[in-house]
Amino acid sequence: MTTLMSEAPEIREQDLVPQRPWSKRPTSFWLAALLGTAVPLSFAGVLYFTTEIAAPLLLIVVYLPLQLVSAGVAGYVAKGKHGILDSGLIVFAIGSTILSAVILGSMLATIIARGFEALRPSFIFQNSVYISPSTPLDYGGVGHAIVGTFLIVGIATIISVPLGIASAVYVTEIRGRAVPYVRFFVQAMSGVPSVVAGLFVLTVFILTGVMRQSALAGAIAYAILMLPTVARTAEEVLRLVPEDLRTGALALGSTRSRVVFNVVLPAARTGVITAMLLGVARVVGETAPLLLTALKNDQTVVNPFSDPISALPTFIFDNVAQPYPDAVTRAWGAALVLMVIVAVLFTLTRLLSGRNSMNK
Amino acid sequence: MAAETPLRDLSNSKKANRADRAFSRVITGAAFTSLIILAGITIFLGAKAVPVIQDQGLSFLTTTVWDTIGVPPEYGIAGMLYGSILLAVIALVIAVPVSIFLAVFMVFIAPTRVSKFLTNLVDLMAAIPSVIIGLWAFYVLVPPAQEWQSLLNQYLGWIPIFANESGNFTGTPFIAGVVLAIMMIPIVTSVTAEVLKRTPPELINAAESLGCSMWTMLRYVALPFGRGGIVGGVMLGLGRALGETIAVFFVLKIVFDINFFNIIESGGGSVATLIVSKFGETSGDFEVDVLLAAGFFLFLMTLVVNMLANLIVRRTERLKS
Repeated sequence: MTTLMSEAPEIREQDLVPQRPWSKRPTSFWLAALLGTAVPLSFAGVLYFTTEIAAPLLLIVVYLPLQLVSAGVAGYVAKGKHGILDSGLIVFAIGSTILSAVILGSMLATIIARGFEALRPSFIFQNSVYISPSTPLDYGGVGHAIVGTFLIVGIATIISVPLGIASAVYVTEIRGRAVPYVRFFVQAMSGVPSVVAGLFVLTVFILTGVMRQSALAGAIAYAILMLPTVARTAEEVLRLVPEDLRTGALALGSTRSRVVFNVVLPAARTGVITAMLLGVARVVGETAPLLLTALKNDQTVVNPFSDPISALPTFIFDNVAQPYPDAVTRAWGAALVLMVIVAVLFTLTRLLSGRNSMNK
Repeated sequence: MAAETPLRDLSNSKKANRADRAFSRVITGAAFTSLIILAGITIFLGAKAVPVIQDQGLSFLTTTVWDTIGVPPEYGIAGMLYGSILLAVIALVIAVPVSIFLAVFMVFIAPTRVSKFLTNLVDLMAAIPSVIIGLWAFYVLVPPAQEWQSLLNQYLGWIPIFANESGNFTGTPFIAGVVLAIMMIPIVTSVTAEVLKRTPPELINAAESLGCSMWTMLRYVALPFGRGGIVGGVMLGLGRALGETIAVFFVLKIVFDINFFNIIESGGGSVATLIVSKFGETSGDFEVDVLLAAGFFLFLMTLVVNMLANLIVRRTERLKS
């Protein structure tokens, strides 16, 4: 099977990326760029330290226009008239990049810095029974919320992954008449706001008395949000399985179900796992549906049917904006734990999809 | 992409193996889950919305009262519907230019290694849960944002949208819009970068050999080529912004009166956030129904935006292939 796959036509990434004729630039360009950045930056810097002008004002009224003008001059020196617009483009492009990087950096830095203040073994392993917002940090923790998150996400995975894969298998293997409709509805479903998923479960299962607000109810809401992600990713990876494998297996007399279970799905194994992980990453931090369907609970709950249950996002939600510093620190601690889970999922999907594309 | 040769549809063939037919049926049934759920949401929430509309009349959508103890109680979500749209527009105005410039930088300007790093950065940004973004915004973004807004008011206060009479710069639509923009940037950027990457290299090289600068190439080749995809990506981000609940909850002060355009005046509206903030304190079953009805209209709004987005994206994909 591996040999078959490695003989599939190989598409290298270089072929897909447009060429960049601009990447070859003369030395005068770099010199001009250096001067064009250094001059306005130092000017704004001097103003910042010598005058009382507010920093954002300085940035927008002084630095940005100066930077544009000096970059324009640099562009003109290096490339003539065309260089002026190009340099403006580059200034805005780099500016947007720095802005986004600063936002992400600030988030990660605060989560790590503030989160570690709360982090200690008791914070990970204890639950929050007998803990009030003013209780010192040495007591109580998010153990119950971690259990809750794993329980809810686990059940949601069990519900949504088979359905998502089935939906993908329908599109890529069965190829019935309804393929365009199935794809359309999966796409449309990916736009369902998380709070609406919560309201749906509330109306259908909780207000009708079928079940109580519990891990199961939360998991159904999560599954609704996971399903489109799993289905779309699984569809993409199943599409990558070479057609020869299917026709080969059919020619050997396999039934259609055998082809799917013994050939297609095993060949796309890592991709299917990636689809599952992406689905989990999509929902693991969702708060709104749980506020409606799982409520909160300071005790550790392991029965998914009986009791309200807390998860990490709802724990954070409860502790933000409390007037007690320790409660806020707990929220940051829980955010750190949640972020670590997200980061692990993120890295895993990267590693898996990297391996997947290498196998191709 | 694999060739789309339709294999024979064995489910309809009399010769098909019986197990195969069952397999086909089960898979087909499961494939329609998404339709069933969408229909379920429409029917169940719609069924809750009907009595609310019957009771309140169309004023439910056109007025701004929220009187739970009145006889009879009156509810109107016009301020919330308008507020959701206002926040989304503010977010769009901020996020779209930033995302397009960021995508241009990733695809055309940055060295490959930097570009790969930025792709990861954008994906990581998309993966951060909204509750964490809300937490960060509440404690880290809001204090400096208040200062920015007071500066805006000080120097540009004569423009109506930057007017602020109360001197209170917390809980403004502007801050909520900025937070939504932060959540939209990764979505719009990744779609835009994906589209720009697909610009045919021969077109780019041709533009270069005709002596086009990078700006001219973008303006006349890459952006027109990717326009459909970019618009679709923007609308996907818009759908996300309309439905976002928790991040907005922490930074926006919900008021029922319509805040038409004073974006740095405290108070605004958002349907999604209304539902969560009122759910815990509902007085009786009817108010729950009212929230469900509000959810129904939110669902309709996002569904329309999302379907349009997908149609646009799909049409451009078809034109290209």
